[in-house]
Amino acid sequence: MPTPSSDLLQGTLDLLILRALALQELHGMGISRRIAQMTTGTFEVKAGSLFPALYRMEEAGWLTSSWGESETNRRAKFYALTKTGRKQLKAETERWERISLAMATALRAM
Amino acid sequence: MISRLLSFWKNLFRRRQLDSDLDDELRAYLEFQAAEKIRAGMTPEEAYRAARCEVGGIDQVRQSVRDIRTGALLDRLTQDIRYGIRTLSRNPGFCWVAVAILALGIGANTAMFSLLDQVVLRLLPVSHPEQLVIVRETGNHYGNSYGPNTISWPMFEDLRDNNHVFSGMFCRFPADVTIGYGDRAAQIPAELVSGSYFSMLGVGAALGRTIAPDDDAVPDSKPVVVLSYSFWRTYFNADRTIVGRTITLNIHAMTVIGVAQPGFDSMELGVPAKVFVPIMMKTEMTPRSDGLKDRPRRLSWVTAYGRLKPGISPERAQLSLQPLMHSILEMEALQPEFTRNATAADRQLFLRNRVQLLPGSDNDLRENMRKPLWLLVALTGAVLFLACANLANLLLARATAREREFAVRLAIGASRARIVRQLLVESLLLSGAGALLGLLLSFLADRVLVKMYLPAGVAADFAVSPIPDWRVLGFALAIMLLTSLAFGLLPAIRGSQTEITPTLKDRSGVGSLSSIPVRRLLVAIQIALSLLLLFGTGLFVRTLRNLENLGPGFPTDHLLTFTINPSLNGYSDEETKSFFERLNINLETMPGVSSVGFSTMPLLQGYAWQNAIVGKDFEGAPIEQQPVLSEVGPNYFATLSIPLIAGRAFTTQDDGPANYAYSVINESFARKYFPGRNPIGQRFGLVNDMETVTPDIEVIGVIPDKKYRDLRETPPPQAYFPYFEGPKFRFMSVYLRTHGDPRQIEGEVRERMRQFDPHVPVVGLETMNEQIGFSLRTERLVASLSAVFGGLAVLLAVIGLYGVVAYVVTRRRREIGIRVTLGAMRGSIVALIMREVLILIGTGLIAGTVLAFLMSQWVRSQLFGLSPNDPATLAAAAVALSLAAGLAALVPALRASRVDPVTAIREE
Repeated sequence: MPTPSSDLLQGTLDLLILRALALQELHGMGISRRIAQMTTGTFEVKAGSLFPALYRMEEAGWLTSSWGESETNRRAKFYALTKTGRKQLKAETERWERISLAMATALRAM
Repeated sequence: MISRLLSFWKNLFRRRQLDSDLDDELRAYLEFQAAEKIRAGMTPEEAYRAARCEVGGIDQVRQSVRDIRTGALLDRLTQDIRYGIRTLSRNPGFCWVAVAILALGIGANTAMFSLLDQVVLRLLPVSHPEQLVIVRETGNHYGNSYGPNTISWPMFEDLRDNNHVFSGMFCRFPADVTIGYGDRAAQIPAELVSGSYFSMLGVGAALGRTIAPDDDAVPDSKPVVVLSYSFWRTYFNADRTIVGRTITLNIHAMTVIGVAQPGFDSMELGVPAKVFVPIMMKTEMTPRSDGLKDRPRRLSWVTAYGRLKPGISPERAQLSLQPLMHSILEMEALQPEFTRNATAADRQLFLRNRVQLLPGSDNDLRENMRKPLWLLVALTGAVLFLACANLANLLLARATAREREFAVRLAIGASRARIVRQLLVESLLLSGAGALLGLLLSFLADRVLVKMYLPAGVAADFAVSPIPDWRVLGFALAIMLLTSLAFGLLPAIRGSQTEITPTLKDRSGVGSLSSIPVRRLLVAIQIALSLLLLFGTGLFVRTLRNLENLGPGFPTDHLLTFTINPSLNGYSDEETKSFFERLNINLETMPGVSSVGFSTMPLLQGYAWQNAIVGKDFEGAPIEQQPVLSEVGPNYFATLSIPLIAGRAFTTQDDGPANYAYSVINESFARKYFPGRNPIGQRFGLVNDMETVTPDIEVIGVIPDKKYRDLRETPPPQAYFPYFEGPKFRFMSVYLRTHGDPRQIEGEVRERMRQFDPHVPVVGLETMNEQIGFSLRTERLVASLSAVFGGLAVLLAVIGLYGVVAYVVTRRRREIGIRVTLGAMRGSIVALIMREVLILIGTGLIAGTVLAFLMSQWVRSQLFGLSPNDPATLAAAAVALSLAAGLAALVPALRASRVDPVTAIREE
């Protein structure tokens, strides 16, 4: 079972969503599933945080959305990365790696 | 960035579409979740319930998505506005009262500001008006003067040619000229200007060209004229072929060379010029008075202007001009014109004169209106402040009544900030509506005020634009925001502090009693302010009454007056003399006219002819102490019904040689110069620059003191000479004593004058009472407006007091019921309430009195015949206010005494 208390760091959710969409376009539920899968269940994104984030990122121009058919033939809104989104993913990934390296070093130094 | 703008656009105008998209998306999400759970073996109902639990409330998700959208703030604002309109319209009575109070308050302020702006604050409509200064000389000029801001022509030339602080100088002189058209003539205001006038001002031509330095190089050489734009439009019907044609000014043919740019009609507000003429044409435009070619230094007549070089402040320029001014004065003090009559002491004083720079827009109208207008602005400001206190009170009451609503909103999760915002939005809606209505009111009011204040001819040209300019709009917007904060903030904060649990539990709202002290304070402020306004009203109304009752010192009913100037038509001295002799006979034989009086100085118009006099025991004096003079016709005193106390009036036999031989003086003159002696037969002479004079004018009569310049003055020493003796005839004021209502023969007089001489226009034909009424227009304006504002203030204060007392009575019903049950008499209940009311009124009155005494010095100059601390007026205002307020409070107090104890106690 995922640990329900693991809070997402500010900015982490954005990075996870960008990463989830890096290979294919997905609908909301799909993004949620993909994130759970990528983090081996550590992060489970609820609708209450997912959708505001999606809308914010779409307004920022990182994502585009379109209506389509899901694998179970339901109407669903699919999200895909834009060019800016990909650039953002690259930048965020680099930033995150720097931070995590620094954090790891710091924690080891203790 | 672009995607942000796009989504802002989308969010703004396609909200419905976005919302339904979001709903679809969330529903799909829910179904995916449920489907997954069904696959895992749940029943459909269980699956959907679990899914909904996991999502955590569709509404919350929807709201949080909305909140992050770009423009969400605007979204919530429109929500607040919509909600505000709904709440307000549920209470239309309150709404109308509030909007009406605000419209009056904001309207009055905007009207006053717009008037102040146009009359006092605004700069000239020329390029870089802030660089323009008037160059004047302070102190006694020792000679004749056309006004405090004028200097002599030679001094202007000296300053112009020798200064280092101005990029250029120009000068002007206003004069009335006659313009001939067909067989008719009219008198129009002209501006004589130096050649650099237009170029220095940066004023261009709408048609043709303006006056250039070449046009103004040699006296009498260039008979050219530039028309003002509005004159060209009204008088010549905007005829574009006018350039190159000639018009007749006085008797001289003048070539029109152009039309000045629209909106520019002279350097002086309220004195618009219709034509501009080179100042070198002075002799033609003002026959019989020159000052230009003969270059007298003891006659100051031109108003000189300088344009400061960039980076030079007026203070620095003034300092660096002083040595130049001093050297001019030293040179002038050696001239015979000066030394002939000036003593050594005079010379010392004269050399201490200084150069002074004034803002280029200064003039008499501005100077005279500055104080009254600021006063009125202060009055309207006080009314607005009072209105704010009143509205704050109303809103506090409303906030109390709406406590349950706030408690409910807080309970379901609204933040307190949101409640404050909601209430402020409601205040803003009210003041916005008030401001719109107020702007409309102010526009109407300004038109009435301008008409009331300015002479008819000027008011027509004085365009109050139908579209208020940005300054006035900005002002209205600023006071709208300020007022909505002033009256809305306190109730809003109070409202947001609602305690949820007790309010929802207890219907009587115990917590809300806390707002009563604040409301009492607001009422006390209103009473204090309205006392101040009422007291001011009393002072101004009594000032007006004093001035009207005192009168000029002679009966003014049945008097008709006009002025006339045949010399502008080029009539010689002989012709002018004959003109007046014939006119005298003509008018005396007119039906309805009992007597005709002529005077070269118009009465009570602010003009004065002053001259130092010499006699056996006295000699020349500084200008403040010089007597005022006039030349009058034989029937002048009889026409004005001024009796002779001693001696006799002039007869036609007194028509003597060119110099004055006989004089009629007033009592003050006799007291001052011939104390303890019989003035009849005494002699004096008029001091003259050109020669040493001997006292040879004989006093033949004495009249009682009467006013000369205006109604406010104490009658100065006066001396009159028969006009036929005068060496110069210029303007003549004609006074007609009529049998009946003078207004009825106005038309006949005009027609008779046209037949008498169609080329000499009659100017300012009106009754003496109309003329006096007009001269009191500032006092009347202040008195009537302060009466309106004072009445408004009292009304607001009384309503405010009534509201608070009624509120307190309602809140204390239960307590009163218990008191009555325990045996309290009705009278003691009334006394209980009224005691508090009287304390409240008393506090307000004391505060108002202190304020009045603090501000009394400020209005002193606007009063006549009473002190700014006049106790009777203050007492009357206080009594009137207390009575009105006391009566207003008595109504709810009596209602309280009729409380039925049983229902009152059971109710709660």
